[in-house]
Amino acid sequence: MDISQGFITFLRSLLLTMVPFVLAAQGTMLAGRTGVFIVAQEGIMLTSASVGFIVSYKTGSLFYGMLAALLVGGIYGVLIAYMTTTLKMNQFVIGLSFYFVGVGLSTLIPKLVIGVTLTPPLIPTLQDVPIPALRQIPIIGDIFFNHNILVYLSILISMLLYYFLYKTSWGLEMRSVGENPKAADSLGINVSLQRYIAVIIGCMLIGLAGVYLPMVYTGTFTEQMTRGRGWLSSALAFFGGWRPLPIFLGSLFFAGIEVLSYRVQVQSVGIPYQFLLMLPYVATILVMMLTFKRSTTPAFLGKNYDREKRTL
Amino acid sequence: MTSGHEVILQMQEICKRFDTLQALDHVNFELRAREIHGLLGGNGAGKTTLMNVLYGLYREDSGEIFLKGKKIAVNSPKDAIRYGIGMVHQHFLQIGSFPVVQNIVLGTSVKNRFTLNLDYEAGKIKELCQRFSIEVDPFANVNELPMGTRQKVEILKALYRGVDILILDEPTTNLTPQEVDALFQTLKVMVNEGLSIVFITHKLREVMSVCDRITLLRNGQNVTTIDRRAATEEELVRGMVGETMDVSKSVIFSKGASEQINRSLSERVVLEMEKVHCVSEQGIELLKNITLRVHEGEIFGIAGVAGNGQLELAEVIVGIRPISAGEIKVYGKSSSQMISSDLLREGITYIPEDRLEDGYLPKATVAHNLILGAHRQEPYSKKGFINWRKVYEVSKELIKEYNIKTSGPADTAANLSGGNIQRVMIARAFAHAGDSLLVAHNPTRGLDIPSMDFVYHKLLERKRQGYSTLLLSEDLDELLLLCDRLGVMYRGELVGILNRDQFEKYEIGRMMSGVKRNL
Amino acid sequence: MFWWYREIMKKILSNTFASYFLAVVLAFIASGVFIAAMGYNPLKAYQTILFTSFRTVNGFTQTLLKFIPLTLLAFSFTVPYKTGKFNIGGEGQFLMGAIGATAVGILGANLPTYILLPLVLLGGIVMGGLWGLIPGWLLYQFKISEILTTVLLNFVSFALVNYIATAVWGDPTAGHPTTLPIGDGGHLPMLVGNPPLHSGIIILLLVAVGIYYFTDRSTLGYDIVATGANPRAASVYGINTRVMFVLGLLIAGALAGLGGAIEVAGIQHHLIEGMHSNFKILGIIIGLISGGSSLAVPFVAFFISILEVGASAMQRTLMIPIEVVYIVEALVLLFVLLSDVVRRR
Repeated sequence: MDISQGFITFLRSLLLTMVPFVLAAQGTMLAGRTGVFIVAQEGIMLTSASVGFIVSYKTGSLFYGMLAALLVGGIYGVLIAYMTTTLKMNQFVIGLSFYFVGVGLSTLIPKLVIGVTLTPPLIPTLQDVPIPALRQIPIIGDIFFNHNILVYLSILISMLLYYFLYKTSWGLEMRSVGENPKAADSLGINVSLQRYIAVIIGCMLIGLAGVYLPMVYTGTFTEQMTRGRGWLSSALAFFGGWRPLPIFLGSLFFAGIEVLSYRVQVQSVGIPYQFLLMLPYVATILVMMLTFKRSTTPAFLGKNYDREKRTL
Repeated sequence: MTSGHEVILQMQEICKRFDTLQALDHVNFELRAREIHGLLGGNGAGKTTLMNVLYGLYREDSGEIFLKGKKIAVNSPKDAIRYGIGMVHQHFLQIGSFPVVQNIVLGTSVKNRFTLNLDYEAGKIKELCQRFSIEVDPFANVNELPMGTRQKVEILKALYRGVDILILDEPTTNLTPQEVDALFQTLKVMVNEGLSIVFITHKLREVMSVCDRITLLRNGQNVTTIDRRAATEEELVRGMVGETMDVSKSVIFSKGASEQINRSLSERVVLEMEKVHCVSEQGIELLKNITLRVHEGEIFGIAGVAGNGQLELAEVIVGIRPISAGEIKVYGKSSSQMISSDLLREGITYIPEDRLEDGYLPKATVAHNLILGAHRQEPYSKKGFINWRKVYEVSKELIKEYNIKTSGPADTAANLSGGNIQRVMIARAFAHAGDSLLVAHNPTRGLDIPSMDFVYHKLLERKRQGYSTLLLSEDLDELLLLCDRLGVMYRGELVGILNRDQFEKYEIGRMMSGVKRNL
Repeated sequence: MFWWYREIMKKILSNTFASYFLAVVLAFIASGVFIAAMGYNPLKAYQTILFTSFRTVNGFTQTLLKFIPLTLLAFSFTVPYKTGKFNIGGEGQFLMGAIGATAVGILGANLPTYILLPLVLLGGIVMGGLWGLIPGWLLYQFKISEILTTVLLNFVSFALVNYIATAVWGDPTAGHPTTLPIGDGGHLPMLVGNPPLHSGIIILLLVAVGIYYFTDRSTLGYDIVATGANPRAASVYGINTRVMFVLGLLIAGALAGLGGAIEVAGIQHHLIEGMHSNFKILGIIIGLISGGSSLAVPFVAFFISILEVGASAMQRTLMIPIEVVYIVEALVLLFVLLSDVVRRR
């Protein structure tokens, strides 16, 4: 009984932990599908976490905090899309610049708005929303149907993205932009518009992933609290071959490693805890060693498109 | 035949500038209903640029476009399609991982937007195929199709959108002579169905055989527009090359220059390939059982439709791609274990087909580009350090001799135009070509006619000096003009080797489509 | 009416240096607006930021001490950048270098200076180089993007520092994860006693000259530049580009590792958790502002060192949060990048 209870708790926390990975990686994937490779996730997540936390703290509403995080992500999206798509600046250079900007803003803003306090300001963490009826199913109800709203949302978004990209003509158009923007352009598809849309929505999802951390894990914002989750999401996008469903499954795997490393730390089995802290990063590298070569990536990932650039 | 119809499209005083290059200089063009209008000129004449303006890919700096007498503004391909204009690009704009039907319907409104079930659209495509007698399976994946079929997909894309005006940019590049004939038949069917066609080409013979009227461009300017029946080849040649070139001394137009050459083969073999096989990482056989010998002082040609193993052949010879079986010898010495840096030392030089991908360093200087491959050799490098003074000296000479338009050796190579990039490739190859073998893959692609002729002179000069060249080309005329012997490739195999006295176009065409001939 | 303005702009933009200077000035104006909007006096803030380094000897020394690791970290970004690869792992390589130096310094604590000091520095170079070699190998063997592996290894190195500074050689009296001190023989000799300036600056100048000759004059440097310009073309013409990628990352790791070793041997004399936090990813920012040019790196690094030292003083004296300087630096970077875009047009 105790073991099965432990197993249920493990699966429950898996779903709880996967959310930032799912949201950030699906956001990365969506932008990547149009050929824009975002590498500023860490910065976007931190700023969104910081601003989302402050807004929640000041308004007392987690909902406004989420909206603020979406807005912050959207602003990054507009800037990144403008600089890469319109100004055709190097995507990696721009990504790194905004990573830097994001890290800086995330600590500057709380200092300006809240100032330095002795005890960290706290917001209530996000409530669980049990789903009526389904919640009553033994075991399954405990694992799947008693979570905070963002858990459901991240599952829903993954399914929606799959449906959109593969089962609608708009998804086909969006994918064509990342595969061959010139071909798409020659058929009247607005390459820039597609990229703007995908990057902005993608960055909004990344922003939402960021605000999950103070809203669910800590109740407050701390410096560098993403601890590499943004970078891990990039790895996850490759791991999932830039496809929504494999990315979702990959997120569960990444969440599993994170949960495992905490559990083992708590139970102190003689391994120094620092090595458990390394586990997610080392495991990611190991997984990439097995999968990176075979991963399918959009053909124009990371490349800007300039209609008037002559190729011959 | 079909000319004499009303004018449906006019382009007036079109100008377009790229940085320092005036690509179009007050160009006029007019298309009549149901005609095949040849747009003729050498590379860099502005043919494709003009049509890219019409198709909305480039924005004109000035000038006006009238469709059926009404002024129109084409700001994007979307506008062009709306006005009933379609374009088949020289390099197909297709998404290899998508099936044919998705490539064709992309950007149009489909019946089942929310399920992406494209059976209805596939049916429409099949109807079109029947009407224009084209054969394509709508559900095949594009990257599995041969070049000829991929072109049909491009044409279907335009037909599917119900265009009235179809632009074809150098459509014969990847076709065998037989396929060219079939294409011309299709064009006639399309004209009968009511389309008007702009046919971009640099080949005289093609405009003379299929076009109703011809507009001739040179250096971004109009030369003339005439009725095909009133045109003579001499007149068109003169128009294409301009006054600066002496036609009688050219290799291209005066048969003499290449015919007077001693074509007898030397005994010494420079390159020897014996039963060479090459298998890709995915296990696909790229080269099968290739056996050939290139003699000293020989120009050995390789013909074939693009994508039949020519690239792989060039790459195994220069050591970029490892072979799976067989043997390659350079001057009797096995090179199978050598990589490209060793072969460079053996004096093998290479002009790659895809100059942008394989030959050009956009982010480095022109000088960097000119010594690439030779940069470890004297006099450019000594004891591990580059002698930049010497490099700049040589670069300046090459820029002058090969007429490369750039501000100097320190200029960023990204500033070069396509033709000038090719001149850099040519200059680099000839300046460092050793006495063994030059492997040249489509060396004249993108060059205007005088520059093309310059390359031909250089190749023949090499021959006279007793040096050998392996010339792989998509231009059959070029091969027929220059080569001593000619091998034809089909699906990674050498289907036959012909001596110069056996050169016959349609025979070669049959071989290009896979008909074997006893070696 | 504004023809003179256009003429002047054209002149400025045609000159690389002038256009970058203009970009920096614009960045200061833009962030000045930002600072004013936050309710601080931008002129006062700038006065402190720009002149602290030159007002006192101490300020200048502080700047030089920042300048040493920042330059090395910037080189550790630009060398692989020349091959077209992005090293985001400078922090981790710096820390691994510090670990290597500390380990040698503790284990050989009784050795004399002329043996121990070179070994300490070498320990940093080797450990940092190793930390750069891992992403290089992963790229070579498995084609894994170096952007991801270098940054993921940072997190591994953070945990490793904590482990070594607590469980292996931890100093329980320190109150913060810190190791025992390294032997006296491992200390870098001082150039100036007060305010203390160690001889790392000389090592740095030698390294900077060496890097310039390596990347811009040597044949191997040509191979690296060609690889970065177009790896496919470079490999067609006989350059082993995959080896160049590995070499670039290896050199990067060694440089950052040297930075860590100098920090241990010259200033800290211990391995301390968070000792990299003054530099963070500034090396990347300096590398990007320099556009990868080995010649520009030291100058940009010095400029950023001035800003960093000035910003600390600004926080102390004017109570303006130090993060303000991030805005200035980020805008300098963006405006420099934008000036390239404008010049391209």
